[in-house]
This record gives sequence, C-alpha cells and structure tokens, in this order.
Amino acid sequence: MAATAADASGIAATDAGTDAGDRSPAVSAPATGAENAADRDIVFSARHLWKVFGPKADRIPDDTSLTGLSVPEVRERTGCTPAVRDVSFDVHKGEVFVVMGLSGSGKSTLVRCLTRLIEPTGGSLEMDGEDVLGMDRSALRDLRRRRAAMVFQHFGLLPHRTVLDNVAYGLEIQGVGKAERRARAAEMVEKVGLAGLEKRRPGQLSGGQQQRVGLARALAVDPEILLFDEPFSALDPLIRRDMQEEVVRLHREEGRTMVFITHDLAEALTVGDRIALMRDGEIVQLGTPEEIVGSPADDYVRDFVRDVPREQVLTVRRAMRPAEGDEADQGPALAPSTLISDAIEAVARSGGAVRVAENGRCLGIVDHACLLNVVARMDVARTEVAA
Amino acid sequence: MSAATVTTRPDAPSAGPLRALLRHRGLAKLVLLAVAAAVLVPLLHAKWSGGVWPEALTVDVSKPLGSASDWIIDNRDSHPLFVYFLGHLSNAVVLSVRGVYLVLLALGWMGVTAGVTLVAWRVAGWRIAATALLSFLVSGVLGMWVPTMQTLALMIVAVIASVAVGALLGLAGGLSDRMFRLLRPVLDTMQVLPAFAYLLPVVLIFGIGVPAALLATVVYAAPPMARLTALGLRGADAGVLEAVTSLGATGRQRLLTARLPLARKELLLGLNQTIMMALSMAVIASMIGAAGLGDRVYQALASVDVGAALAAAVPIVLLAIVMDRTTAAAGEKAGGARAAGPALLRGRRGWAGVAVVTAVAAVAGRLAGSTVWPTGATVAIARPVNHAKEWMVDHLYSGVPVVGGTADWAAHFTNWVLNPLRDGLTALPWYATLLIIGTLAWLIGTWRTALTAVLAMAAIGVLGVWKPSMNTLSQVLAALVVTLVIGVGTGILAAGSKRLEAILRPVLDVMQTMPQFVYLIPVVALFAVGRAPAAAAAVVYALPAVIRITTQGLRQVDPAAMESATSLGATRWQILRQVQLPLARPALLLAVNQGVVLVLAVVIIGGLVGGGALGYDVVTGLATGDLALGLVAGVAIVCLGLMLDRVTQPTERRAAKGA
Repeated sequence: MAATAADASGIAATDAGTDAGDRSPAVSAPATGAENAADRDIVFSARHLWKVFGPKADRIPDDTSLTGLSVPEVRERTGCTPAVRDVSFDVHKGEVFVVMGLSGSGKSTLVRCLTRLIEPTGGSLEMDGEDVLGMDRSALRDLRRRRAAMVFQHFGLLPHRTVLDNVAYGLEIQGVGKAERRARAAEMVEKVGLAGLEKRRPGQLSGGQQQRVGLARALAVDPEILLFDEPFSALDPLIRRDMQEEVVRLHREEGRTMVFITHDLAEALTVGDRIALMRDGEIVQLGTPEEIVGSPADDYVRDFVRDVPREQVLTVRRAMRPAEGDEADQGPALAPSTLISDAIEAVARSGGAVRVAENGRCLGIVDHACLLNVVARMDVARTEVAA
Repeated sequence: MSAATVTTRPDAPSAGPLRALLRHRGLAKLVLLAVAAAVLVPLLHAKWSGGVWPEALTVDVSKPLGSASDWIIDNRDSHPLFVYFLGHLSNAVVLSVRGVYLVLLALGWMGVTAGVTLVAWRVAGWRIAATALLSFLVSGVLGMWVPTMQTLALMIVAVIASVAVGALLGLAGGLSDRMFRLLRPVLDTMQVLPAFAYLLPVVLIFGIGVPAALLATVVYAAPPMARLTALGLRGADAGVLEAVTSLGATGRQRLLTARLPLARKELLLGLNQTIMMALSMAVIASMIGAAGLGDRVYQALASVDVGAALAAAVPIVLLAIVMDRTTAAAGEKAGGARAAGPALLRGRRGWAGVAVVTAVAAVAGRLAGSTVWPTGATVAIARPVNHAKEWMVDHLYSGVPVVGGTADWAAHFTNWVLNPLRDGLTALPWYATLLIIGTLAWLIGTWRTALTAVLAMAAIGVLGVWKPSMNTLSQVLAALVVTLVIGVGTGILAAGSKRLEAILRPVLDVMQTMPQFVYLIPVVALFAVGRAPAAAAAVVYALPAVIRITTQGLRQVDPAAMESATSLGATRWQILRQVQLPLARPALLLAVNQGVVLVLAVVIIGGLVGGGALGYDVVTGLATGDLALGLVAGVAIVCLGLMLDRVTQPTERRAAKGA
C-alpha cells in the first residue's frame, strides 16, 4: 500500500522507517538499508507498471473506474485479469532485490516484464536510464543477450546438449567462437561447483545440479543483472539451503545486481537486501527485511511475517532505549546493525545493559527488558496501542 | 431405436421435472432429438414413403464424372496444366523411381544386403542388423529379389517425398497457429480414411502407372509426418523456449537450436509412421500400377493362389519389421538412451564406413558375377504351400467332428450374422438410420460431430450408393463387435497379468507393423473367399490396436484409486467394474474409435477377396476403367469413414490421443 501510493520505492521505504521511528522514540535514525541503497545508481526503474491478460487489455490501466477494483471484480466486469497492477520500484546497483508473494500474486509476471518476455500493458520501465518498452527487437535482443540473464524455476535446460554446451548456449547465440565459449563455459561450470560433470546431459543430473547449470548459463554471458524466477522452489529443502548460500556467496564475491523472485519468506529474508511484498498484483510493502518484519504495513504483511523468528531479523537499533545517567559512557558496545539474537548473547555475558555505539557515539542502550520486548512482540503491541 | 427415442418423449412435462431433465445433458439431447424426430419423421414419410433412399434425393454423378474422366484422357497430352505441371511431375516420378531401382540393381544383392545391414547396425544395434540381414536373404531365397527391389525403390522415393511434404506442412502448422487450426482437422480426417479411397482420384489424373501409385502413397503417408512434426514443435517445453528467448535468441536460432532438437523424438516417430504407411500403401498401390511385391500378391489373390501370395507376402512382412524396428530404435535413442552400435560405427566416420563397406560388397558381388540374386539359390514355396492349402481344403473346411470346418464357420457367420445385419440395415428406413447416427454421435461427442456424421451419411444417399454402403456397414459392425469382444477381453486379461502381456507384446508388435494387404492371405487360405473372410481379416487387423489401447488404459488408471478400493475390501471383480473400467473410459472409447477405423480399412480392401460392396466397386472401377463407379464408391468410403469416426469420437479424444 505504502509503495503503490508513493512514487518511488525509496521514499516508501523511508516512510515506513520514519513511521516506525515515530512510534518507538528510542529509534532515532531511519533504517540503514534504504538509506544506503538510495545513494547507489539505479539499474531498473519501473513506474506504474501494468500487465493485464485478456481481450482489449490496454484499456484497463487508463480506466480510473476499474483501477481501484479488486482482481475478481475486474475479471467479472471486463473478462481481463490484471496480473501486475500499478507497480513502481527501483532496483539499485549491487543489491539483491527480492519480490515476494504467494502464488498468483503476479511476481513471476513482474520479473518477465523486466526483459519483456511478457509485454507490459502499461507504465514505463527504464534500464540504466534507457526506455526498455520503447526498444526495437534488436535492442531488446541485445539487452537479453548481454545485460540481463534469467534463472528459471524449472531450469529450462536443453536436454539434448551436454552441461558444457548448455552453459555455453548464451554465448553461442551471441556468435562467440566455439573454443572461446567453451573455455568461458568451463570456467563457469567450475565456479558453480560442477567441475567434472561437463559431459553429462541435464537428464543425468539432480535438480540442484541442474539449477547450478542454469545459474552458470546465466553467469556465462556476464550480465549486468541476474533475474531469478523462484529458482529453488522445485528443490529439496537441504539443497535449497545450499543454493541460497551459493547465491549469497556469489553476490558477496561479485556484487552483481540481482532480482530474486520467491514465495518463501525465509528465503527472501536470507538473500534479500530489500524485499517487495506483492499481493494481487500490487506491491503491499517495500523495505529491508527488518522493516518488513519490524513494521508490517498492514494486516496482510503482519500475518505473513507472524512466524518469523524476530531475533534473527531485527537489529538492536530497534530494541534500544535512550541512555540514562552514565550508561552512555561505560560497558561493552555493539554496532547498531547487530542482530537481536547476537545481542542477547552479549547482554547475557555482560550481565547488565550494553551500549549501542556507532563511530564511538552512543546511540542508546539495550538490556534484558528491551531485548525481551522485541522477541515477545511487545514493541508491536505498543505500536498497535499507539495506533 | 427411433421408436425408443420417440417413446422417451415426455407427455406435457411440467416445469420442475423438465428442468431436472435438462440438467442431465444426455437426456436433454435425447428429448430434443425426439421432438425433432416426432415432427420430421411423419413429414418425410408422407413425402417419400418407403424405407429406401428416395430416388428424388439422389444425384446421378456418373455422367459428369465420366465426361470429366474423358476430358482428362483427351487433354492429357495437350492441356497446359498437364504439359507444364502434371506432366513434369509424372516424368520426375518415373525417372527417380527408375533411377533408384537401377542403383539398387547395380549394387547387386551383396551390396544392398550389406548396406541395409550396416545401416540397421549403425542405427539400431546388432539384433536388428541380424534381422535385416536375414530378411533380405530370405527375400532372395524366396525368389522375390527383383520385386523386393522394385518395392524398395518406390518406397525410397515415396518416403523421401512424403517426409519432405509432411515436414514442410508440419513446420507451417507448428509455427503458425492459423495454419495449425486449418491443417489439424484435415490431417486428422485423412488418417481415418481407408487407403482405397485415395486410389481413384490419382488414377483419374495420372492414369494407371507408377506416378499414380507414388502420389497415392505420398498422399497417404505424408499426414502422420505433418501431424507429428506440428505436434512436436508445439509440444516443445515452454520453459526451455522461454529460457532460450530470455538469452536473446532470434526466431531462427530458437527453431534450429531448441524447437527442432526438442521435437526430435516426434520427428523420428513421424518418420517411422510415414514409412509404415508408405509401405502399406505401396503394396496396395500395386492395383494402380506399382510393380513389386504388392503386385505379386494382388495377382496371386486374383487367382486364389495362396502359395504365390505367401511367397510375396513374407518379404513384405520382413521389410515392414526391419523398417519399423530400425526407425523405432532411432526414435528411442533420441529419447535419451546411449548410442547403439559399435564404437567403430559412431559419428560421421561411421556413415563413411557404411558407405565404403557397401561399395566393397557391391564390387565383390560384381566380380563374383552375380548382380541380381543368383538363380540357383531360390526355393519355390508356392507349390508346397498350395499342397498344404489343398489338404486344408479337404480336411479342415468342413466335416471336422464336433467343431465343424472353417468354411462352415464362415458360412454360418455369413448366414446368421452378416446377412440378417445387412438386410436389417437395408430395410431400416433411411431417416431412422440418419437419426440413430445423429443420436449416437451427439451423445458421445458434440453437435458438430453429430452434424458431420449425419451429413456424411446423407451424402452417401445422395450419391445413390446407399445399398452397397449398408452392406459395407453391416460387415464393419459385425467385425467391430467381434473385435471389441475379443480385444477388450484380451486387454483386460493382459492388464491383469504381467506374464500374458509379456507374451502378447512381441506378437502385437509384429501384427501392428504388417500392411493391411497381407492379412487377406491367411484368411483366404482358411475361409476361401466371401464376406466372412473379409470380416475375419478386419478383425485380425484391428485386434492389436484395440488390445493395446485397452491394456494401456487399464494400466494407467490412478493406482491411488485402486489402492483405496482395495483398502475398502473390494474384490477384483468389483475393482475392475467400479474403478478400472469407469476410469479407463476415455481409453475404451478410443479403442472403439480406432477399432472402427481399422476395421473399415480392411473391410474395404476385402473387396478383393469377395467382400463385395464399396470395396468391390472400387476394384471393378479400376479393373474395367469405369472411373465414375470407382470414384463414387471412393467418395462413399470417405463419407462412411468420416461418419464412423465421428460417431465414435469422444470429446476427450484430443487429450487422450496425445501425440
């Protein structure tokens, strides 16, 4: 709600942060994620993006009498199904931008709109300042070939080719010579940990291995941005965790921009720098994991994040209270980005209150009571009462 | 049936029950039809009394057809259409078939046998290579080398042409939705039409000869290739195609690197089916001028010389088995299994090796002085076979204690089943027939299929061949019932017993590869000629497909449903009746549909062995040059095929049939 109402997501995220700040006076600075991200270059910028399926879909985004209706109502009246509704956001360079939602929320459609695998019905979309929707076929093909590569839920590997040739496929399409593309593909196969399996065919690999091939294929073209469409949903839980760690590792090593679609909240919290939560084609809330978990924008989001272990997502910034007396000058110090779970250990060890300090300045104090309040959702209850 | 539908008409129904009735779709349709019948039947009866198709409603097409045929014969050498197009086409066909034939002869028996064996080895492994080697040697030993080469030459050209035409059509249908919507019903319909229906039109244009035979073969054999190519291209994994697009592939790259390779299995299946159809038709096309094995069978059947027919039929069957197994193995290999054949023969080097060895064998054969099969090395089986047949005639035809003779069975079947059925169908008022057909088609399918069926049947009446068509229909129905009883019964048994299925499988495999024509020979040997043998051949021909579809349908029933029934304590019989059969309904309906189509195909060919009716009209038309007679019969066959297919076509057919 907040995001769709505001023009740019960065503002929306800041809004959410300030809201939280107003409610809990102990928090003096807005959340860090949004602040840092806003400084960076913007890779993708979507404004009022629409995708409507059905006959004469064009008219829906412009028709103000329809845009306010729910999805079933629109379907009833027009026979069209809006999958993405008036979505605006920015993806910043180097971040992992997660789009999360239940099945049917429009997240997979949204990511396909980014490279026009599905043609958006309305709105505007820019990549590095270039108008994507206005691109002709060859420009679009060039974008797909070199700038944005996608990893798919069901892998989309060519069953008749070896692992190596699958990884080299993107380069082959670009017209790279056989020796060079094979060399680069071999490098990527190595990078995703499949060395030794180059000659196998996809059918002879496990699901996790196949997705590694898909990942290597996307990496082989050295794209500016990686798009993941529920890449690990079809995998076993253990393998899924391996792959998530793989993605986090890759991101740490290369700093490549990623857009990551998932229906799994835990996955979103693990890999995401910022999360856009979608429902019925709209972005309900956009913010850092901490903002989503700590300050849900509405009941839907609150319901969604109810079972998240808060101490593993929220930081002491949210738990701290103003220093009293001489507390500001003594005792051990924690960085404001410390997770509550880590702070619990520090507080337990110190036996008393602990400072939260940044650049030598004391921002506040956390003690047993503050931390317990957060874990026990007392802070939420307080804001609800306040609201 | 018409009486029955009339009695279901409710007398002044009140609103409540009527609505309840309409909620049941089948009943609603019946009520609607009954009302229509109640109005129409008295009217029709008043206008044209009597049950025979009214004279006033027939159109005599024999005169215009005759004059059209005369015009074509007169203008074949002068009209630009013939001189500049059809003439060239016909010459190209003659030249290429002749060319391939001469190459085969030049290779000699050693060259051809070596080449075929090596190709089979390369593609399908040593077992099938051994089968190929043996098959070609047997053909030679039976004294059928030259006819085998004639058939092979025609086949090679026909298959190349069919694959080219089919692949192009399939490509168009696979890439363009509009083309696909246009092609699909045409191809589906062409697949259900009996081979005989294609003979007359090509003869009308090209006259009797190799070009007519080849074109009929191509028209008959190209549809499966087109169909499977289109389905293969359309069925390509959408996820893979999307991934390929997301990497920025152009349309051409997508087709060449993804769609075609992904459809490889379907393409090879299409090739397999096309080859089998081409062989089947190349044999039948002997009636319109194709020399070779089919011609030998045809001539032998004409004089009821079972021995000679068998000598020619054995190479046909062997050829069919070799071709089917080789291409099927290629298709399975494309499905993911490892490459077959020895390492020496793999890759491009392998093909070169095949060519070299073939050439060496050919030269060796030349040097040894025997190009065609050595004359001394043949065994004439015709005489002993005929002796055996005569012994059968003397001892098995009649007078066998307790069971009676085969000829007696045939006579009983004709007298007690075929004759009453034929007389009944002929005596049934024509509007009643139409009504029954419409009702059946509508209940099983949609109003569209019903309309097609009724119109097709009406067309038969309009053409004035109602009576012979009813005769053919009676044979089809009788053979169908026998086929279904035996086929579904065997299918149920085979679905329940792994061992029976294992025994049946190779038998069914061989039966399904044999061309229709071949089935006539054993039934003639057993039952002499007449309508009963034709029906028997149809039963034998249609059985494998029916058994197979039934078995598969029962086997594919959701095991969870069976398990839950078992856990509730159901007996085997209860499971079969209450779970398996209802859940396998689509497969059973498909079995009926396929059974009808296959039975019709052979009943028509049965015209060659005394089956009479429409098939006989085609044969007579060809033999006496009375093209009008044959053409009308051909159109009636098409209509009958269309009607039978639509009447038995369940709405789920598309889904059930798949590729």
